Amino acid sequence: MSVPPVLAACDLRVTRGGRTLVAVDRFRLWPGEVHVLLGANGAGKSTLLNALNGLQPADGELVFEGRPLRSAAERLALRRRAAAVFQRPHLLATSVRGNVETGLRLRGAAGAEARRRAGEALDLLGIVDLAERRRDGLSGGEAQRVSIARALAVDPVVLFLDEPLAALDPPTRRALTVDLLRIFERRAMAVLWVTHDRDEALTVGDRVSYMEEGRVVQTGPVHEVFARPASTSLADFLGLETYLEGHVRTGSDGVSTQLVLDGGVVVACNEAAEGPAVACLPPEDVVLFRSPPAEGSTSLRNVVRGTVKSVTPAGRLLHVVVAGDRLEVGAFVTRAAFEELELAVGVEVAAAFKAAAVHPISSHEHRRR
Amino acid sequence: MELIWEGFVEALRLLLGGDGDIYAIAARSLFVSGLALSIALVLGVPLGGLIAMASFRGRRLVVAGVNTGMAAPPVVVGLFVSLFLTRNGPLGELRLLYSTWAMVIAQVVIALPIVTGLSIAALQQLDAELRRQITALGAGRWQAFWLQLREIRVPLLATVMAAFGAIISEVGAVMMVGGNIRGQTQVLTGAIVQETRIGRFSVAIALAIILLALAFGANFVLTAVQQQGRRRP
Repeated sequence: MSVPPVLAACDLRVTRGGRTLVAVDRFRLWPGEVHVLLGANGAGKSTLLNALNGLQPADGELVFEGRPLRSAAERLALRRRAAAVFQRPHLLATSVRGNVETGLRLRGAAGAEARRRAGEALDLLGIVDLAERRRDGLSGGEAQRVSIARALAVDPVVLFLDEPLAALDPPTRRALTVDLLRIFERRAMAVLWVTHDRDEALTVGDRVSYMEEGRVVQTGPVHEVFARPASTSLADFLGLETYLEGHVRTGSDGVSTQLVLDGGVVVACNEAAEGPAVACLPPEDVVLFRSPPAEGSTSLRNVVRGTVKSVTPAGRLLHVVVAGDRLEVGAFVTRAAFEELELAVGVEVAAAFKAAAVHPISSHEHRRR
Repeated sequence: MELIWEGFVEALRLLLGGDGDIYAIAARSLFVSGLALSIALVLGVPLGGLIAMASFRGRRLVVAGVNTGMAAPPVVVGLFVSLFLTRNGPLGELRLLYSTWAMVIAQVVIALPIVTGLSIAALQQLDAELRRQITALGAGRWQAFWLQLREIRVPLLATVMAAFGAIISEVGAVMMVGGNIRGQTQVLTGAIVQETRIGRFSVAIALAIILLALAFGANFVLTAVQQQGRRRP
């Protein structure tokens, strides 16, 4: 990218009691992007966010808008150009309007100016009617909207969001997600969004950094990282549960790529470096048929014939495991499709998937943690 | 019983008749305790904030010392303030002993640990994540302190009540360092002691009614504000 990052970190280390909580060699946040920090609980996402926001003492170099931040005053200057929203809204003991004005007043905005900009932020979040309410009269969703309005009122260059939707019920979460995406489109701020929810990451993120044990394991455009996880632990986290161990080779046509499994089965797969590899297969990319589709009738180049081994509820879907002769494949099906296909444990079935659904991970990355 | 009843009647007559001496004593009491409370708040709340938010070696010892100071008997405070202010003491040259300023100093010493200790307790009860949110809002150190004080204003009012109650009603320290000099350093508590000793119960009762009314009035106002805070946190 030709535009310089708005926030950058180099050799960032957070230690507590001799234990390293975060060790990130390099991190870049670009203007206008929503960068998701993804990982399981305890991966160090929030600690990294706090270190990047100057809230958490850390060793290493932190550069904001091209200037290194070394002193407490410089870190305060960063926080005055940024804003943060946490999992809980943490509203102050004043009115909703007073809360939204707080950040502005801390930055020296005069009364009328603070009131006008707070009004705009309340309008942006659709909560103008709550302006005179106190914090104890608000629902969880309303309070979080106030917290977000308070952050946006200061027109931040960087917006730090630490699991902002985690404490909300699903309908509130969906509504707030839609509103946030609309706001992000209108404003050119950089957003650092911490979540452990892969669907949330996929919905909101432009780029994603996956964290494990305090380290960033993989960074990239969100669809690329989800399509090509660089480690089996990330593949696990993303729900790519079917592992096909074997050897990547170029197909006889000289163009296609194949993964030859240890048992000799050949699977058409995504392009990958030749050599030993593990392939991940997302269950949502697997389609079930009672009788296999005729060759060439679909783009599903891989077909596994077998029987239904198990059926497990997975939210509104069912997770079906098909056991073939030398291969087991997991698939998600809707309950309607399950009934229509008259599926049950032991029933013969064909599981089909595209070559593009198989993501080989090279051998040096595939050691499972 | 007749003595008490007659004492009450005479006390009411003195109060309603606007006895100048009695109201002068009450005004002196309010001045001394009001000024001492103000100084203790100005010093004690920031001190409490500093101790609550800072981490330093010996912090526990300091907190234990403050808590011990909250229970210090006024006569002990009176003794040490007298030793400092006496002619041969470290501050003897200031010639403050047996003056209202000496009484203010003694009451500051009594109120300061109460204000500091209760401020520490109130600030420490504040959610650590709320403190982080205040910092993330872009607050500087003093701005963060001020916002935190606003969050603990209800317990802070309780602190004011506790400190005012402790100094307006104490008798040992003010008598020792003020001398209980009629017309100069005599406050309500000292005057009640003196009038009781010489058998002028009606005056003692009148002074006691004023003292109780002051204590009740101050607490009533602060409680009203506090309860308002409870309804609208």
